[in-house]
Amino acid sequence: MLEVRGIKKTFNAGTPNEVRALQGVDLGIEDGSFVVVIGTNGSGKSTLLNAVAGTFIVDAGSISIGGRDVTHWPEHRRAQLIGRVFQNPFSGTAPEMSIAENIALAARRGQRRGLGWALRSDVMEAMRDRVHRLGMGLEDRLDNPIGTLSGGQRQALTLLMATWLKPHLLLLDEHTAALDPKTADQVIHVSEEVITRDKLTTLMVTHSMHQAANLGDRLIMMYQGRIIHDLAGAEKQRARVEDLLARFEDVRRREQLDESAAEMLRRAYV
Amino acid sequence: MTLLIGALTIGLILSLLALGVFISFRVFDFPDITADGSTTLGASIAAIMLVNGVSPLLATAAGACGGVLAGATTGVLHTKFKINGLLAGILVMTALYSINLHVMGRSNVPLLAVPSLATQAEHLAGWLLGGTSDLDVLGWEVAIRDAAVLMLMGGVVALAGALLYAFFRTNLGTAMRATGNNAQMIRALGVNVGNMTIVGLAVSNGLIALAGALLAQYQGFADVQMGIGMVVWGLASVIIGEALVGTTALGLVIVGAVMGSVLFRLLIAIALRAGLNPNDLKLITALFVFVALVLPNLLTRLRRRPG
Repeated sequence: MLEVRGIKKTFNAGTPNEVRALQGVDLGIEDGSFVVVIGTNGSGKSTLLNAVAGTFIVDAGSISIGGRDVTHWPEHRRAQLIGRVFQNPFSGTAPEMSIAENIALAARRGQRRGLGWALRSDVMEAMRDRVHRLGMGLEDRLDNPIGTLSGGQRQALTLLMATWLKPHLLLLDEHTAALDPKTADQVIHVSEEVITRDKLTTLMVTHSMHQAANLGDRLIMMYQGRIIHDLAGAEKQRARVEDLLARFEDVRRREQLDESAAEMLRRAYV
Repeated sequence: MTLLIGALTIGLILSLLALGVFISFRVFDFPDITADGSTTLGASIAAIMLVNGVSPLLATAAGACGGVLAGATTGVLHTKFKINGLLAGILVMTALYSINLHVMGRSNVPLLAVPSLATQAEHLAGWLLGGTSDLDVLGWEVAIRDAAVLMLMGGVVALAGALLYAFFRTNLGTAMRATGNNAQMIRALGVNVGNMTIVGLAVSNGLIALAGALLAQYQGFADVQMGIGMVVWGLASVIIGEALVGTTALGLVIVGAVMGSVLFRLLIAIALRAGLNPNDLKLITALFVFVALVLPNLLTRLRRRPG
């Protein structure tokens, strides 16, 4: 479904602020697979997601989704294949527009938008039904501006919008990081439900070891713009929070070693 | 009475300008200065066509189309050539000054002797009322020309407002509102934000040029200077309108912009009659917008201060 081949991305190239965010990432995801991505801050996990979404064009390598080479497609064109939920609950919805209007916008993701009414009665009907199934009591507030809702409600609606038309690929970018633990659980529950029901191919970035251990059928760990661990099948199912933390500790030690080694060399030779 | 009707008529004509400014400043959050040039462009195209005997309806429509082109140009400069939005508007506005002079061939085209929408409305009303030249409204003498033009402008504005409201509820229109409200979100839903901005600015400046074309026909001339300060004028109307309706509901905001424009024009008419120097008009308009922009923040800061 998703084929990422040797992608590289350097931000602010040639300046003191140069960041080599992706240094050659290869990743193939099968149809219907649910892949969780973890990594320390600056490991490139969100950058990987943004590269796939088309927020920027990669410097090298190729990306294809569902057999189509999208490497040079602009972000809005890739949207016909991709559903996205962002880390910031404010990013995924238009606050001054009503819940109904936001969903109506998502109901035409990647399609032509003409002069037909946005809130047609059949769309409204489907909306009431699917919003009701979120179990948040929002089906009676479809006319309210979405900006009046809580972060959790907005994330749940963004998820509904991203999956309203079944996407070839669902991208979840730390979509519960800005929520309180209870709401985060709720949103994760809704996510799991829709991913399982619609058999969605999913790439999810998370900072929560708990989510990483319990969700998905494959786990990827990134470090310094590369994939350093890739657990699938039984190995993924066996992985516990402690194992993951141990691997993080491993990475941390390696980082310290790098620094102390550099310091030692500096003292010896400079 | 003539003063009141004059103020109402100009207020209604300029409410089309307010609606245009509402689209660029509020819907798209885009400070579009093109408006100063497209007002005059609409006026000069309509004027030169009227002088050459083209039907008033066609001339007015052509004026509006000129605005559509001007707005689209600003949009292309901004989205395709990545020029700062404010600068893109200034470039097009500056270029339009020369273009307007070329369109008119001189700096001022009088329209008093040619048939226009204003004279047509007068004829129609005269025919409907059987040839009287004055009308009795609640004991006031009203010239039939004034009444007819006021009715015409009321009709045009009502139609434009209703069309705009309907448009913003279509698939294309909602995508456009979302572009201004949250570009990241609408891009993720497959909308080309650049193209939306171009279309939005085209619609905005089309309305503004329509206001210019109607204004020229009402006041009886087109002048190359007539667009100066129109953006600020429109912004003042929108701000007053928002204060009047006190909501962000789409329909009410559109009605508010029209009411704001009429009210602002009335206030100005009264101030002028009370002895305000016409030369100070733009200064006062600018000061008004400045105060309206600063006051809300200032009030909340004062309120938050303890004691």
